Amino acid sequence: MLIPHPLLGLRDAQEFTYLGDAALIDRPDPAAGEDAFCDYVFLRDNPAGVHRELWYHEQGDRSWLVVTRNTLTHEILGAELARDVALARREGRA
Amino acid sequence: MTDLTAICALGATEPRRETFGALTLAERPDTALLSVALRRGAAQPAPLGLALPGPGAWAVGEGLAAFWTGPGQWMVEVPGKADTDVVATFLPNLPGCSLTEQTDGWTLFEFSAKSGATVGRLLERLVNLDTASLAPGRATRTAVEHMGVFVIRRAEAELAVWGTRSAAESLWHALSTTARRMETSGWAQQ
Repeated sequence: MLIPHPLLGLRDAQEFTYLGDAALIDRPDPAAGEDAFCDYVFLRDNPAGVHRELWYHEQGDRSWLVVTRNTLTHEILGAELARDVALARREGRA
Repeated sequence: MTDLTAICALGATEPRRETFGALTLAERPDTALLSVALRRGAAQPAPLGLALPGPGAWAVGEGLAAFWTGPGQWMVEVPGKADTDVVATFLPNLPGCSLTEQTDGWTLFEFSAKSGATVGRLLERLVNLDTASLAPGRATRTAVEHMGVFVIRRAEAELAVWGTRSAAESLWHALSTTARRMETSGWAQQ
């Protein structure tokens, strides 16, 4: 499987480690309460189809990527730097 | 004061060098390595007039070279300065950056061949990358036999590999075995 790194081009998946659902970027506000954190820490959706997930380029430039992947076909639909995703989200909220 | 004997990463007092047909592999203990991280909001400096390279690239200047390691991060190579305090030397040239000396954590091995085609074949055997992406002037971090390394294509027929010093012997074994096999099967004649 090849992952299209936004800065370095196509790189083999063996250079990456997988973390999971990209929803992890969205940590609840510290004041959000125990239920919100319980959901954040323990509960994940498990979609059959398009999934946004976090990958770490460990044997590369050590960047975190948000990779959009179809879990049924393993087709990679896109990859962006998690930093850009988080910054865009923060700006959208502000 | 204790008398200390400086030794190379492969355990000898002299750097190791081995030739396989037209391919030479050499240990380079004299190059200093420095990591540079740009601080938030700081302007990108140009140490000694060298424009720091973009993603996946390597650039060479007067007495130093640099390669990109991540957004706002580079490694600076200073040939012949491994026994000096390169952080102190370069601090004034790299304002707005955090500098960390890396020389003793890494070891540099360099391949030289007569033709670029031989280096291309070497890359096909060593790294899981599109070899065309490692054209001259390109550098990247990847893995060679599960060891994290920086691979730099300094010129058409020159390839440098920075590996961790603690795995120097394993890395040399991986590189020299590949080169020896190429020589035996007739792929290292140019």
